[in-house]
Amino acid sequence: MAIPLVPQLLRAHLAELAEQNHRMDGRGQWESREIELQTNVLPNAEGSAMVTMGDTIVYAGVKFQIMTPYPDRPNQGGLMCSAEVRPVAGRNWEAGPPSPESIELGRVVDRGIRESGCIDVDGLCIIPGEKAWQVILDLFAVSDDGNLFDAFALAGIAALRTAIVPEVKYEVSDSDRPLPISKTPIMCSYHKVGGRFVYDADGKEELGGDERIHITLGDDDNVHSLQKGLKGIFTANEFAEIMEHAKSRCGELRDLVHGGE
Amino acid sequence: MKEGRVARPDNMSVSDTADGPRNGRRASPLVTPGEDLGKSEGREAGHGVLVMDGRLTATKHGRMNEKGNEVSIQPLRTAYIPRPGDLVIGYVEGCTNNIWFIDIGAPFNAILPMSLGPGNTSFGGTRQVIDIGEAILCRIQEVEETHSSVVTMKGLGLRKIRSGTIEDVEPHLLGLLIGKKGNSLRDLKNESDCRIVVCDNGRIWVDGEFDGVVSVKTRLKEMTLESKAVGGVA
Amino acid sequence: MGGYGDIQMIDENGIRMDGRKAGDLRPIEIETGVIPVADGSARVIWGNNHAVAAIYGPMEAHPRKIQRQDRAVLDVRYNMAPFSTSDRIRPGFNRRSREISKVTAEALESVVLVEMYPRSKIRVEIEILAAEAGTRCVGITAASVALAHAGIPMTDMVVSVASGKINDVVVCDLNKEEDNYGEADLPMGILPNSGELVFLQMDGDLSQEEFQKAWDYNMNAAQGIHEIMVDALKGGES
Repeated sequence: MAIPLVPQLLRAHLAELAEQNHRMDGRGQWESREIELQTNVLPNAEGSAMVTMGDTIVYAGVKFQIMTPYPDRPNQGGLMCSAEVRPVAGRNWEAGPPSPESIELGRVVDRGIRESGCIDVDGLCIIPGEKAWQVILDLFAVSDDGNLFDAFALAGIAALRTAIVPEVKYEVSDSDRPLPISKTPIMCSYHKVGGRFVYDADGKEELGGDERIHITLGDDDNVHSLQKGLKGIFTANEFAEIMEHAKSRCGELRDLVHGGE
Repeated sequence: MKEGRVARPDNMSVSDTADGPRNGRRASPLVTPGEDLGKSEGREAGHGVLVMDGRLTATKHGRMNEKGNEVSIQPLRTAYIPRPGDLVIGYVEGCTNNIWFIDIGAPFNAILPMSLGPGNTSFGGTRQVIDIGEAILCRIQEVEETHSSVVTMKGLGLRKIRSGTIEDVEPHLLGLLIGKKGNSLRDLKNESDCRIVVCDNGRIWVDGEFDGVVSVKTRLKEMTLESKAVGGVA
Repeated sequence: MGGYGDIQMIDENGIRMDGRKAGDLRPIEIETGVIPVADGSARVIWGNNHAVAAIYGPMEAHPRKIQRQDRAVLDVRYNMAPFSTSDRIRPGFNRRSREISKVTAEALESVVLVEMYPRSKIRVEIEILAAEAGTRCVGITAASVALAHAGIPMTDMVVSVASGKINDVVVCDLNKEEDNYGEADLPMGILPNSGELVFLQMDGDLSQEEFQKAWDYNMNAAQGIHEIMVDALKGGES
């Protein structure tokens, strides 16, 4: 990603907005943009979802491949997450090898899903020690106006939860079955903008903002992953406030995912 | 995914003369690149129109205008192309000992030589006077194809922007914002009690009390959404 | 091209596996403005193909070495998303995509008025989200609409379509099975006003007559596709 120029006036204006409890687009501190979730949108993927958050638009696609199980886990399949933010998604995304930003995106979303244990990896075994299913989740950004983290995480889990294992095509059995997945981990991201944390930052807020915190919570509010990104300092109180919001917002988004199944 | 599929006779037209939006005229037709606009005989090809094999052809997507015998296209979306004399807001992207490189939102950056900058700059001291990331109000001095355009800060009112906010508006909406004889803009300034400087590169400097600034920003957002829903196609 | 002559893809009444007649196009839908952060964009759904194109620019041409003093450069990227095909595509450098990017750029450069923006570049980003034969044609078509949407000046829009041969019958707009098991593929990029060409490739086996027939199918189909492109840009206005 090309480092975009951060206009100093933008930062000053964001600080003033924060002081007056305003945001660039008039939202409240913890308010999200208009959100849309659709599943089964990619005909050649075994599971798929598209998420829109304001002007941010991403796709998630689930594909299956046969793998050889790892020697220390002969009865288990695996999950691989890959995130791509290609130049199509914005002026500042350049062509070339994956940038540190997109690598971080993929890995943070991966941890949130993987550490929740939502996928039954034993249920992915085909022949112990020889063959198992590898689930590949590809996250693909098409329009970046901020908060790719949450958009990717939401699209990812929605795609996984509606994925069908292609047993017939790979001649493993004579009927396809749903991917064995029992939970719905959800990520919420917070950016420090103008000196305070806000939820669902848009492109301008990310540009003029500072550090960010990503929290993935499971069905029971268990914490499955955390990440603090970029330069900055935050307090325990600020974190507690964010965690409170995450508990309720993750629940809302979880309902959204379940509603579409 | 926005769609603007409403066609109404009183479409807003956003011409250079800044005619009022709802004047009841039949909308000028939308044309696409390659569209035939009739014989070229007796007619002139204006902006966005080419003469090819005795015919006038549209090269841009927009509304066709006929003024006298000149046929031109008012594009629905357009990049900002600088012309000498334009008032623009630029961001400093970099500098050398005696030149600042300015992003003016055009296909290529402009340069501000020390001699045309604020008077108190010394050689090597450019960053101290205007730093990277700062915004300036300046004018296009010169545009030539073989080198970057040149901007100047020598002139009435030109300066470093130290307060307020800068909003981006698509260049083709500027006429609408300013209104007939500047009426719309004047009203907005009075209502909000803010300084509003509308620049030719689609950037607008808004400065004043917090509530006023917010009201101007809201109005700008409304305008953009309206234009997409009614006459424009998103 | 597989040339598996045993698979019956068109019956004795001239009906293809998906119900089309020899000269029929797959259904096409085009929408503009689908990528809000871009300067121009379009989505094309063509059969089971799903492509988006985004335009950024004209902007300063970086790195310096690609800059041309007298004109803009077109920086075109055609790419297939990992989940776009039946077998997953590993992200990364792909020779086929590189070739398609190049011929796409050359097609578009033939119509874009690049002299209007010296020393700058125009980025054309084509992403195939779902593939079902003919993706390069879908990509070029989407890019044309996106360029128009972005206000980039062009002498005409490029319409791209492919015809081929299945079971010794020349047909228009091959679908996936027809492309896999058919005997020829002829994609073209056509300027609807003049009938001139800016893009041409072919592989397979066509007699001179069959070639002419495939050519004519493409020329004919281009008119219909062009209408859909214009309609998408005009948003339903006449």
